Amino acid sequence: VKLVGSRKVFTVEEVTAAIAGRFEDLRSFWVEAEIQDLRPSRGQVRFSLRGEHLIEASMNRVVYDRLPHRPEPGTLVHAYGRVQFWRPRSQLSMRVERLEPSGEGLLRARIEELRRRLEADGLLAPERKRQPPLLPRRVGLVTSGDGAARDDFLGNAWARFPEADVLLVDVPVQGEPAPALIARAIVHLDRRRDVDVIVVARGGGSLEDLMAFNSEPVCRAIAAAITPVVSAVGHERDVTLCDLVADVRASAPSAAAAAVLPSREALDVRLADARAAVRRGLLRARAESEGALARRAAAMARELARAERDARQDAESLSRRLGPALRRAAARAPAEAAARAAALERAARDRAVEAAVRVDRGGALLALLSPARTVARGYAIVRDAASDAVVASAAATRPGQELAIELRDGRVPARVGGGGG
Amino acid sequence: MSAGQEPGGDLTFEEALRRLDEVVARLESGEVGLEEAVALFERGQRYLTACRERLAAAQRRIEELTAEDLPAEGPPGEEPPPPF
Repeated sequence: VKLVGSRKVFTVEEVTAAIAGRFEDLRSFWVEAEIQDLRPSRGQVRFSLRGEHLIEASMNRVVYDRLPHRPEPGTLVHAYGRVQFWRPRSQLSMRVERLEPSGEGLLRARIEELRRRLEADGLLAPERKRQPPLLPRRVGLVTSGDGAARDDFLGNAWARFPEADVLLVDVPVQGEPAPALIARAIVHLDRRRDVDVIVVARGGGSLEDLMAFNSEPVCRAIAAAITPVVSAVGHERDVTLCDLVADVRASAPSAAAAAVLPSREALDVRLADARAAVRRGLLRARAESEGALARRAAAMARELARAERDARQDAESLSRRLGPALRRAAARAPAEAAARAAALERAARDRAVEAAVRVDRGGALLALLSPARTVARGYAIVRDAASDAVVASAAATRPGQELAIELRDGRVPARVGGGGG
Repeated sequence: MSAGQEPGGDLTFEEALRRLDEVVARLESGEVGLEEAVALFERGQRYLTACRERLAAAQRRIEELTAEDLPAEGPPGEEPPPPF
């Protein structure tokens, strides 16, 4: 500070230091604002917090990067921090320490957080999805009794299948009690044996209006249901967690009717077609069988005729060849007989000659062996005169025995001498 | 499915319809002998009857319950409902 005459004159630095001192005592506070113009800058992330007016703000880069939900530009946030004064440029800015989504941003952050948990539990897996039956005995409908969704669904359901049987559970679809009651309705319908499919429906609305269908009780009840569940919440562009957990997502309540009911008209046509096709098939099979039978009968008759003709031809050709053969055989017979008789005669004659030769040879041999020939050479045969038995040994004689000695030309009587001695 | 696919009253509508479609497809294949065709025809008729009976049994109805009508808790012995 210097005095120029009576005037007190400050330096710029003195001024900025004085202003900075004013802000040192300000405590940290929460502010709700739309976050805009996010820009990283060295160790900081800078952004604007806008209401009708605007506050420049910055946050430590490391802290910002660790935020569980980084806010999308243009969304509502709650920021916590203090205002600080940057002396070199006399700039006022908010030093933000905590930054959380708020409003829709907060809702979306909560939805995202639940979605991650449902996904981690495997409840969003495509293989969990079951196909609703083609023709449910009864459709369970969970919606508000006086909402447009009820009329949209029923109108379309009955247009499609006039005999549709619907069990409606009238529940609040928004507000604090809605999640628990919707979940209870789903559990109840799932336990009923006559309900084959459950539709959870609600018309379009703001994100906040639809939050019951992003709630954990409803999602868990749908995931736990054994009965297939069709979700028809909001409009085409509104995707809720209920849509993700359900077995089928219909873009709107009116579309849910087509997801759970067949078209009666199309079904009747289909059954009539099937009936006609079954009959046609039978008739065609019969016609084909008859045709095949007729073709086979004709073929068989042709085959028989040919066999008969062939047999007759064979017989004729045989008999033609047999006649001359027989005649030739007959003609040959007498000559053959004569030849055979001559051969026989020749054979007999040869045999006789051979026999005669053998008889002559036998006679000569016999003569050679005869005792007569021995006697002729000077030997004698001695016989007992009485018995004519040959006496071959001296011991066989007794004195006085009458013998006969056979010589070449006759017998000589003899007597054994030495009687008595 | 077992070899003897006898159409019974236990078939769901879509199961009966699916088997009916199979019968039709088989009959229309042109590879079917008379005996099989007769058997298919008879089965087709039974599936058709099953489908028609189920369609005839359907009746337009709307019953409305409110949250207060629902049993507060499941019957005893059953596992508790999911946490609300």
